Amino acid sequence: MLEKNKKYLQIAFNRSLKEISSMIYSLPPSDRIIIEAGYPLLKTYGIGAIRKIKRWWERKSFRSLSFASYVVADLKCMDRAFTEVEAAAYAGASAATCLGLAPLETIDAFIRRCEELGIDSILDMINVEFPFEILSKLKKQPRVVMLHRGVDEGEENKEKELPLHEIERIKSVYDEVLVAIAGGETIEEVISGVFNDADIVVVWRPFNENPERILYITSEFLKEIK
Amino acid sequence: MILEKRKKYLQIALNSTLKEAENIIKSLPISERIIIEAGTPLIKIYGKEAISKIKRWAPSGTYIVADTKCVDLAFRDVDMAVKAGAKAVTCLGVAPIETIDRFINECQKRKIDSMIDMMNVPDPVSVLKKLKKLPEVVILHRGVDETEYSKEKQLPFYQINQIKDNFDIMVSVAGGDTIDEIQKAIFNGADIVVVWKAFYRSSRQTSQLAEEFLKEIR
Repeated sequence: MLEKNKKYLQIAFNRSLKEISSMIYSLPPSDRIIIEAGYPLLKTYGIGAIRKIKRWWERKSFRSLSFASYVVADLKCMDRAFTEVEAAAYAGASAATCLGLAPLETIDAFIRRCEELGIDSILDMINVEFPFEILSKLKKQPRVVMLHRGVDEGEENKEKELPLHEIERIKSVYDEVLVAIAGGETIEEVISGVFNDADIVVVWRPFNENPERILYITSEFLKEIK
Repeated sequence: MILEKRKKYLQIALNSTLKEAENIIKSLPISERIIIEAGTPLIKIYGKEAISKIKRWAPSGTYIVADTKCVDLAFRDVDMAVKAGAKAVTCLGVAPIETIDRFINECQKRKIDSMIDMMNVPDPVSVLKKLKKLPEVVILHRGVDETEYSKEKQLPFYQINQIKDNFDIMVSVAGGDTIDEIQKAIFNGADIVVVWKAFYRSSRQTSQLAEEFLKEIR
């Protein structure tokens, strides 16, 4: 469902469902926006959160351009891939995430089940030193590889950099795979993500910390992501 | 630490539906050696309500584990588990060290036990050595998918003593569901044995199975 030549802004939502509802209604309508039901959000509300977010974003997109709304369930699957993928797909997610740190058996099962159910698989490489090595061991590639610096890592270790150099390495070998970059929050980091050829830039902090300014912030970010 | 170091515990992980969870909890024998876990799929499907409902159904004072498998944003997971009424919460051993350190620290502050789940960690001792503070419990864990697709994968029983020789810490073993595997875990020094398969659906045998498992765990 994602197009290879487009650049996307993925916004991860982690506030209360009530706040998220009004944030989503305030977003500018754009088929380049991906909505993510964040991991803490899922653990707080369960998959019901995906269903609701999907419905809000669908209403918004239907009223404007009638583009297909794209919602990611940030499951961070570590085991029981079938159960988790089925739950996300059933709730209406367009894509779901699995940890690159999970056992290979889990990642393989996750990618296979996503394909069978017609949703995109995203492999989250948080804390994976050599993402390339994981990809080379898989039976099939995921639809998206997400390079990810965690929030705790970033805050405790200011010197930890976003793994931008990995983007080209991965794309040069796996040309069907899209690459997402997560963990950068400033406009500068977003620009350098796109400059280094990321297809998707994932952000959360400025959006969740300033819900009332979400229209302005999103428009500014979208301008940089072309 | 809320658990007693000299006792052996049976941890029953609930992973099916909330309805099943309620039936299973109500048919369990009353024992202070039974720990009840709100499994990861249950939390992802129902949210924190899974934890608070399990707490409500269980006999008062039951030790409840929230299997949140934290991998980032440690503060939020611990906060959620505490507010939902859990007595312990889990973090992945493969998570960034910064996350594990924050997780353990936050658990101590909020007076809830920290459990580090070593699924897919080849050398748990080396992870423990890097930490600023130790968790209350280390879980040695063979995943469900691993077990299913790689039948030859063994539970790492030898690691129980490796850990206990180096640290004064409780060790839990997860991923074995047969009486044989439970006996081996206890024989090798495990303090907690986690089971789920026998308790996925409630049946007339649920209570009897729990009694049998408890008998093996002494």
